[in-house]
Amino acid sequence: MTTKKRPVGKKKFVSFSDDDALSRTGRLPKNLPQHGSPPVYVRRTWQTIPFHLIVLSYWFIKHSNGYDVRKCTWLLVPCQVLYLALQFNPATVYGNKILKLNYALLAVSGVTCILLTIPCMLLVVLFGAPFLEMLDKTWLLSLHCCVLSYPAVYSVLNSDFKVGFFKKYFISIAVGCWISCLAIPLDWDRPWQEWPIPLVVGAQLGAMFGYTFCSQL
Amino acid sequence: MQEQIEGAVDEELLKQSVLNNDEDDRRLTKLRIERFRTTHTLYIFLYSALAALQFIAIAFFTRGFLLSRKVLDDVANRDESTAPAKFDRLVLLVVDALRFDFVIPVDVAAEGYNSHYHNHLRALYERWDESILLKFLADPPTTTLQRLKGLTTGSLPTFIDAGSNFNGDVIDEDNIIKQMCLNNKTIYFAGDDTWDALFHPYLSNVSMPYESLNVWDLDTVDNGVISFFEDHLLNNPTEKKEWDVLVGHMLGIDHVGHKYGPSHFSMAEKQSQVDGFIRQIIDAVDEDTLLVVMGDHGMDHTGNHGGDSPAELESTLWLYTKRPGTWRRQAPAAYNTTELGRYYRAVNQIDLVPSLSLLLGLPIPFNNLGWPIEELAHDDDEWRLFTRQTLMQLETYRNTSNSITDSSKLKILEELKINANSNSSDAGNYQAILLEMYKDLWARFDYYSIGTGIILLIISLAMLITITRLIPSIVVGQMLSELVPTIIVMPLVSNVCFLGVFYVLRQPAFLQNWLWASLLATAVGIIIGFYVPIFDRYNLTWLVLRFGEELSDYWSRVAAFLITLHALIFTSNSFTIWEDKIVSFSLTTLGMLTLYEFVFLPKRHSTSAILAAALGEKEGTVSGISSGQANSDSLPLGRFARIVGGYHSIVLIVCTRLASLITICREEQGAYCTPTFTLTNNYSFSVMLGCLFLVFATPACIKGYYNVSSSYQAAAPIWIGMLMKSILFVNFIYWELKTFENTSDTHGLNLTIFNLTISRIVVGVSLVAANIGWMMGPLCIKLNVHNNDRRSQQATILGYANAYGAQYFLLVINFFMCILLFNKPLAQLSLFLMCNQLLSILEIFDLLKLKENLIGPVALGLLSYQQFFSTGHQATIPAVQWDMGFILTERITFPFTHLGIVLNTFGPHILCGISVALLTLWKQPPGILRANTLLARVVSNCGMLLIYQTVLCLSTFIWVTNFRRHLMVWKIFCPRFMFAALSLIVTQLVLTFITIAFASGRLIKQIDRMFWK
Repeated sequence: MTTKKRPVGKKKFVSFSDDDALSRTGRLPKNLPQHGSPPVYVRRTWQTIPFHLIVLSYWFIKHSNGYDVRKCTWLLVPCQVLYLALQFNPATVYGNKILKLNYALLAVSGVTCILLTIPCMLLVVLFGAPFLEMLDKTWLLSLHCCVLSYPAVYSVLNSDFKVGFFKKYFISIAVGCWISCLAIPLDWDRPWQEWPIPLVVGAQLGAMFGYTFCSQL
Repeated sequence: MQEQIEGAVDEELLKQSVLNNDEDDRRLTKLRIERFRTTHTLYIFLYSALAALQFIAIAFFTRGFLLSRKVLDDVANRDESTAPAKFDRLVLLVVDALRFDFVIPVDVAAEGYNSHYHNHLRALYERWDESILLKFLADPPTTTLQRLKGLTTGSLPTFIDAGSNFNGDVIDEDNIIKQMCLNNKTIYFAGDDTWDALFHPYLSNVSMPYESLNVWDLDTVDNGVISFFEDHLLNNPTEKKEWDVLVGHMLGIDHVGHKYGPSHFSMAEKQSQVDGFIRQIIDAVDEDTLLVVMGDHGMDHTGNHGGDSPAELESTLWLYTKRPGTWRRQAPAAYNTTELGRYYRAVNQIDLVPSLSLLLGLPIPFNNLGWPIEELAHDDDEWRLFTRQTLMQLETYRNTSNSITDSSKLKILEELKINANSNSSDAGNYQAILLEMYKDLWARFDYYSIGTGIILLIISLAMLITITRLIPSIVVGQMLSELVPTIIVMPLVSNVCFLGVFYVLRQPAFLQNWLWASLLATAVGIIIGFYVPIFDRYNLTWLVLRFGEELSDYWSRVAAFLITLHALIFTSNSFTIWEDKIVSFSLTTLGMLTLYEFVFLPKRHSTSAILAAALGEKEGTVSGISSGQANSDSLPLGRFARIVGGYHSIVLIVCTRLASLITICREEQGAYCTPTFTLTNNYSFSVMLGCLFLVFATPACIKGYYNVSSSYQAAAPIWIGMLMKSILFVNFIYWELKTFENTSDTHGLNLTIFNLTISRIVVGVSLVAANIGWMMGPLCIKLNVHNNDRRSQQATILGYANAYGAQYFLLVINFFMCILLFNKPLAQLSLFLMCNQLLSILEIFDLLKLKENLIGPVALGLLSYQQFFSTGHQATIPAVQWDMGFILTERITFPFTHLGIVLNTFGPHILCGISVALLTLWKQPPGILRANTLLARVVSNCGMLLIYQTVLCLSTFIWVTNFRRHLMVWKIFCPRFMFAALSLIVTQLVLTFITIAFASGRLIKQIDRMFWK
């Protein structure tokens, strides 16, 4: 399953042309869309398991005082950057190459993430989040989700926009949030049922699942 | 979008060219129409049979679950037989969930001893000589509300008390509190606010009700009661007689039970607190005051209650007075406290009502079924007096209610009565037997009926799935001529068999009379009659395999998932409470999925399900290929189609979100929900402005949807632009007048006559005149003739592509106008949004070519529920908008009041039920599909909507049965089950009689006759 071999002896050109890409698709996952897009994908490796998310979720659930989403998001930011640099980016193959970390792009995708919070918030509100009250908390939630999707945003910006490969990362976070909504209406009166804590945990679990398994799909 | 036909100049010529004057063709056309008519009639029969089966299922379940009792409004009057009062004043302390073993001494070594809840409340047992301590047996359901009703009326409460009251929860039948009030006693009350809800008119204004819902709060209510008692009794020994009856209801012990369970140290604290409080009261009362301490129910080992286990039923009754020699105790063996008081003398809870009435010199409440407690009479003479009065009351009640009809039972009662009159010590037998008979009638679940109902509904669901999904709709159309005769004959045969067996062997016994036997026979007959021809052609394995295959495509899975999600809501009370949010969440999810589909266009088999238009008559073959595989290569949606589709998805999502802002919160949603559907909001200026806006916006929006297929022709401008606009305007005036009446002083103006006239005009025009007009067949098609040059004349038929849909939607508009009248202003705004949602859903599923998929009807079903909640409803009895019944008439008049309430409550269901045919007919150009094929598809879509409603109804049946002992069953689950059953019935009626019988057949026939080549 795992392909440890990295392309050795990289040539000095980067090409996104169809023909070139298609001629080298020996190790590509079979179900990758074959038409019109360069083969950008994440290798099937356990390297992408987001250990930091497991630790962070554990800390958030068990030890953070009163489920402090703000603090959790602050902690998440460096973790995600490190995860991108050390785990996710090395496992991502752009047209048969593994690109080095582009620091300018890191910043750009950071800004993109913050901009993405607006549509993300809109989405959450459309799904039934409170309209006017608690906007700050809703924003915090969408910021958290966007930070969780940071590596995927970076990869999308790093590759051609038309590449649909990273869609599933966003979807898995969204689905995580979607499922976690089940916990809200329960009448257990627990402190963690407070908006938006279940969704934050759901997003983390969804991201955990996404970064671990989406390359396998 | 436009069909060009050359050589025709006017409609008449066109018609002739289409119809062809050829003799043979005409004969064929006639034959075809004849065949269509037969098929149509057979479909109506088939669906009526299915409806009958489902109604029977619902009837059986309801019969088993809701045993109804007729509430008599009579009030007992004081007469010469009323016993003189023994006490002037009464202090009544209800300690919620005071189980019997809490108050008796328990040996530390005894089995079941628990240091947390035993031997802390000794006050009741210590004053043995001045008091009577009895075990107090409640009747299930052991919930506080039902118990309070039982404790005060002396009757057995059932869920539906048929003399329904329009005014919330106030008990309208005769009860002891009412009697006290009628006999000029001032009643002070403190504690659980259920009392306030039930007895508000009778309680003094000084009373202090406290909120009872928050079970986490252990002290507020108790401290409130204690301080109230301190003010009016304990610290006020010389007070003038400001009250005659002082009632306290403490919740602490009950709340500890709910929160921690009985085995917790705070239970001991709470019991000690109550103990001290009772001691204080004992010291404070004088000789003319009767002190009663009692529990309303017990609690089980987890601290909950509601069911019928002994621990929940056994409560405490304690009567105390300082006057010596008041009580006549029985032999000490009766008061045996060993084994947690298992053998202790017990009385029924309803016995309290006659006992208190006799002690206080009140007439016994009219509906009482209890019997005075023997210890209360100090000698035989008094006992004779007591029994005579109670017997008279019981007799009066039995004769007035007249519900025991069995002659053998009546005979037994007569004998006992004669016996009772001669010998007062035997008189109790009469009451015991009478009570037993009434219990038989009311307070028991009939599991055979419940089981029968559930099984019949499951089978009807299987039948629906069989004819809509498993067998191709075309084949069903061909099988009709076999199905319908057997469905008609088999019930007759089974009726003969069942009734024969029932009369000769009296089996099955639970049916009780021939009517139910006949209903069961009919249901069984319909089932057999349906499955005989089906299994003649198919075998079970094939059907099961088909079922798996049916769920193989993406959208069917989404639909099945949404149905399952909605059905699983009823597994928990918290989900049921939040159903409104969950339903709009589901609908938004569906909108998001379609949006995703349009934006990213993933490769799927099903997206391209059928190329309905292009494939044309290929569908007519008897192939049995599932729609998902009929055409496996995907149909690429054009760029424009994707943009349009995305737009409609967004419209659907945004409208859903906006509509969900309107809500009337359930009581249980508590602080998490702010009601927006309030009186002030409804009649506020901005909402009225919104209503004025929708007078113009609704026709404009509909026009926009019509213009997509250039169908805004001929009849459409008249119908939508003129009729609808003016009706909406009249409707606006009506509600403006209502607002005026509601918000400002009318300066002596009496607007009733105006209002009634306007409302009757609106209903008459929209429901009667417009529908008759629709029957004439208003085509939304226009013939455009271009005379470019002399020789080639071109004719363009505008609106050809949507000939069916545009005309059919006019019918929906008729009902829409009528339903709008019966909805309050905010709900009207919601219905305006619904109009957009509905049309967007139709466009979306047309673009995705999912006209035959399960998802379409499921989307409409979800829409109907979402709109039910956003038009200011909840699945509770108090949320029914009774005032809508008085729009057409001032008084309750049979069809009009009920029509108003039905149109108000089930408006969205009716609209969606009618619109389900549009899934097939919208954007369906004529002349491509055969009339029979089209009808088959419409019917199949109707069936799918029924599947959705049936699954929901079935789920509520199963879960309400499962939770029949749940604390919340009468507040949450049971109203939801009733709502599900009613919406199934309404949907069933609308689909069978309006969608299939009235509208689809007529429309398809008309257009087919006009355009078939």
